[in-house]
Amino acid sequence: MNKHKLLGGLLILVVVLVTVWVIGCASNKTLVTEKSGAQLWGENCVRCHNAPSPPAFNDYQWETIAIHMRVRASLTDEEVQKIVEFLKMAN
Amino acid sequence: MKRNALWMVVVGLWLVMGFSQNGLAQDVASVQQEVKKLKPGLSRFLLRGYAHSGFERYEKENSFVGGSFNPIFLWQQSDRLLFEGELEVALEHGSTTIGLEYANMSYILNKRMIIRVGKFLIPFGIFAERLHPRWINRLPSNPLGFDHGEQVGPAAALGAEIRGGAPLGASKINYSIYLINGPSLNDGSENPEEAGMLHFDNYEDNNTNKAIGGRFGFLPFSSSALELGVSAQFAKVGNENTIYQDVGARLFALDLSLVKTIPSLKGIVDVKAQYSMTQVDDARYVDPENPGQTYTFKNENAAYFVRGTFKPAFVANTFIQKLEFAGRYSVLTLAEGAAWGGEKRQWAFSLNYWLDWRTVVKFSYQYTDAPGAEEAAVEHEEEGTPLGGAFLIHWSFGF
Repeated sequence: MNKHKLLGGLLILVVVLVTVWVIGCASNKTLVTEKSGAQLWGENCVRCHNAPSPPAFNDYQWETIAIHMRVRASLTDEEVQKIVEFLKMAN
Repeated sequence: MKRNALWMVVVGLWLVMGFSQNGLAQDVASVQQEVKKLKPGLSRFLLRGYAHSGFERYEKENSFVGGSFNPIFLWQQSDRLLFEGELEVALEHGSTTIGLEYANMSYILNKRMIIRVGKFLIPFGIFAERLHPRWINRLPSNPLGFDHGEQVGPAAALGAEIRGGAPLGASKINYSIYLINGPSLNDGSENPEEAGMLHFDNYEDNNTNKAIGGRFGFLPFSSSALELGVSAQFAKVGNENTIYQDVGARLFALDLSLVKTIPSLKGIVDVKAQYSMTQVDDARYVDPENPGQTYTFKNENAAYFVRGTFKPAFVANTFIQKLEFAGRYSVLTLAEGAAWGGEKRQWAFSLNYWLDWRTVVKFSYQYTDAPGAEEAAVEHEEEGTPLGGAFLIHWSFGF
């Protein structure tokens, strides 16, 4: 039990440290307000699933899906507004 | 004569223009009527969900499986009010079952705060809330310790929650604080072999105590590529008016999500990991092997998984673009000394082919073993993931 708790903790710690280091080296400091809806769509949707195809839903459906994702995935209000605008423009 | 002819031409033109303008206005009015018919009101309903089916071959059995689907009902009452509900319609033991996965109402209080009430997916780590749908989970099976019947930590519960997300400079945070019925302790009164287990489907609270918990997520980089999360939940879990009523439980989880495009590999790397553990206060239970006696054990359980995928989405070949390689290692460690205790480990690999962004066929192999299984875990093998190697082919469909 303790051995596996330790192993699990260490495994996750190593993954965390390596990823923080790798991404930290490559990351920029662009604020959400400076990003386009297309960029936010590409960055945020793929955190759980493939980026959705804009024509998959109409404008009204995207608005409902946006609220759902804001609740479910804790996207920020700013991100949701921009992503929906992009999807409505691109569908 | 010429003057009369000119007047006739002018009048004729005027009449033609008048009629054509009148026709245009009628056309516009007609289109406006049609558009109005199509425009939805403020109340909007959307049916989404997912389905899956496939074939599984274990060492002792093989069968077509699935044929299940999970409709998700979204009802948007206004810009601030949302109802979400999910059913699971499945075939189990020769009959069709319908389960309520969740049903809750959300109200957006302000830009940073949402209140939610009902049965909702618990943000205890990331698997249950974000990764479990079949078309999102990159492997056909759930990690050990994250499936029905052998889960370490809650998946869904009844209660109330406040949650939200906010930018923090170039970084981001998200949070959730909730109050739910909480897990219940199996004290062994009905089945002594299960004494000490926590049950998370506690829909009619077994005591007056409520569990309090939450998750805090931090996305340090502007690209949102990395998310680190910590979750905790505290509750008294024993049945009211029994010697177990003061028995408490503490649940903790750490999670990680990394999604990064690697230009040199022309693809996307996705790493997900979660470590969950439960600690239950010491208590004495009826010994299933000697019913006249009691016994105790250190009631600590843990489960973790690390999952990695690579999708060569940016290569020129359109067939290879749609491939995805996935691998996962998971471990489930149940309380040593308990009748249901033991350990399982599992490696799982999958080659996936995406038919579109939400439809995937998974060709997977997994191997599950249980060190020391002869003593305990293997006896309860039928309750969880079967041991040994297994081939699984699943077709998952998001809609």
